Amino acid sequence: MNCLLCQRPLTTKLTLKWVLSWQPIVRPVVCSLCWQGFRPIDRQTACPDCGRAQLQPQVCRDCRRWPTQTQFYNQALFEYNSAMQAYFKAYKFQGDFRLRAVFQARLKQTLSTIKADVVVAIPVNPATMQTRGFNQVTGWLAAGENDGWLVTLATTKAIKQATKNRQDRLLTTQPFQLAAEHPDLTGKTVVIVDDVYTTGRTIRYAAMVMLENGAKSVIGLTVAR
Amino acid sequence: MQAKELYGRQLLLTPVEAQQLPAGTQKLPALKVTGQQVQCLRCGSQLQRRWAQLPDHHYYCYQCLTLGRVSTLTSLYHLPEPNAFTDLPSLTWDGQLTGPQTDCANRVKAAFQARQRHLLWAVTGAGKTEMLFPGLAWALQQGLRVAVASPRVDVCLELAPRLQAAFATTTVAVLHGRQPAPYVYRQLTVCTTHQLLRFREAFDVLVIDEVDAFPFAANPRLTYAVEHAVKPTGAVLYLTATPSRELLQQVKRGQLTISYLPLRFHRHLLPKIQVTLAPKWWSHLQHGKLIKPVQRWLTQYATSGRRFLIFVPRISQLAIVQAAIQRMFPKMMGLTVYSADPERLDKVQQMRDQQVQYLVTTTILERGVTLPGIDVIVLGADDAVFSTAALVQIAGRVGRSRDRPTGAVHMVCASHARHVKQAQRQINLVNRKGQRLLNELSTLSTTANH
Repeated sequence: MNCLLCQRPLTTKLTLKWVLSWQPIVRPVVCSLCWQGFRPIDRQTACPDCGRAQLQPQVCRDCRRWPTQTQFYNQALFEYNSAMQAYFKAYKFQGDFRLRAVFQARLKQTLSTIKADVVVAIPVNPATMQTRGFNQVTGWLAAGENDGWLVTLATTKAIKQATKNRQDRLLTTQPFQLAAEHPDLTGKTVVIVDDVYTTGRTIRYAAMVMLENGAKSVIGLTVAR
Repeated sequence: MQAKELYGRQLLLTPVEAQQLPAGTQKLPALKVTGQQVQCLRCGSQLQRRWAQLPDHHYYCYQCLTLGRVSTLTSLYHLPEPNAFTDLPSLTWDGQLTGPQTDCANRVKAAFQARQRHLLWAVTGAGKTEMLFPGLAWALQQGLRVAVASPRVDVCLELAPRLQAAFATTTVAVLHGRQPAPYVYRQLTVCTTHQLLRFREAFDVLVIDEVDAFPFAANPRLTYAVEHAVKPTGAVLYLTATPSRELLQQVKRGQLTISYLPLRFHRHLLPKIQVTLAPKWWSHLQHGKLIKPVQRWLTQYATSGRRFLIFVPRISQLAIVQAAIQRMFPKMMGLTVYSADPERLDKVQQMRDQQVQYLVTTTILERGVTLPGIDVIVLGADDAVFSTAALVQIAGRVGRSRDRPTGAVHMVCASHARHVKQAQRQINLVNRKGQRLLNELSTLSTTANH
């Protein structure tokens, strides 16, 4: 088996500890060198509102510009650096669905630490689904999250999100709504999973929909910030 | 989308492009999904179902992603090649071929005319490109579509201007991954073998240069690409100095015809590989020392001023080897070069300009580099990174100039290795053929003199 990112052969060393632990063997899908490229964010010092990596645990400059919201915060796993950019290019834009395995285990582990009643993935719009063939977020999650009950309104994106600047992004309108059949959210804690938190506009709109429908609190979980 | 852009091609199109298709465009499935197997119909890979899966029972090919993703959501668009060429070009090259070269060139032309699959085994530094010209000129005159492909971009970039100069009345299309210019339909194309995956039954004559080079040798997709890019009635010519076992087996089975050019342009035999067994060469180096034989050779070079290349198996060994040499011979100037080195081209140029006496390098300098009058030392030649082909190519760096047609090729091995033996055997075989040809030539010239 080769590393999914650099295609070099992967070797797993079987340690005695592992053998005696009676756990199933977890084979890594990326090599240690590639994995080191991703910088994990320390939750202790990250911004408590958006999960940005910082040296001091205080509300960051971006978040101070948002109206204070006590029922929502975001947590991010990794910094958005060049390795992450390359990853998203290959995964989302080139469409290499195999790469979902890179963050699957890590995301699953983090999700298990969060006490959530409902987990939902940010949907992609139908046109993207037609060409890309998959939702990058549900790829990471096991299956079953968001069985179509959180939907996007706009059927086509006129301009790609990635090409917009902060100002344009903040001016976008609410793209989400709940489908007619959706689980009861009253008094529940909802976790929304997305790929990247950039300005926070998208995930905050999604959180707003949840809160309007009676959710107690909403936690955002993104792979990158 | 114009019809010309689809002639002999198999392309993925965006939905917008796919709305305006020229008449007669064929829409072909991109993947073949049967009960057990998933096969990509562009690159021919057999895919693992588990990895090729997309949601909703769709599949994609993860092997040829860099050319745009092929999946069951997409189709390949194709128009048959009509050979719609006007103004057929002729040869504008006015160089001369030597006697053996002319024989080979005629053989190549005959293979094109008979639409054969042919292997031309010509030693390193034989002048392969020039031997193609008569055959290519014939094919272009007949209005056939011709491509010259190579696994390496640098080979393509070197070939293109030479072909353009040889056929000055036409424009050569150059295709490779780093090319920003859009595709143009031309009679003569120079491209990387990867680009052949975008063609379908397009070429009447297809030449593959340096077949043994990475990544072609290790990549079944590219073999598939060649078979599909050429017309069923087309000719394929493989050019190499170090044919692989598979190719030679095809020759044995009669699926491939073969011709040899065992002599270099200056009519000298290839330098032989001299193997030195030194099980502890690396542990010596780890202590900052060179083994005795290497010391001896380097002392000679230090006094004579002869330039040389040292090959090592791994990038991490470069600095250690150079440090050891620096310690023993502080006055000798040298550099290290590896594939991702940002100053790679500049350093090779310094070696060419004789500013430095030696380079310590990995396999990246195994082919395509001509440095007159050098010697070569390979440390750890028994390491698996040096294939037989790589070793023959490395040996081929030596003796490439008319002024010094010989030289030394030293290979230091920790143990005996099959691929080193095979490399020696290949060189001996070619040299035997070369000697025979030399004898024939000398008898010819003496009889001519009488």
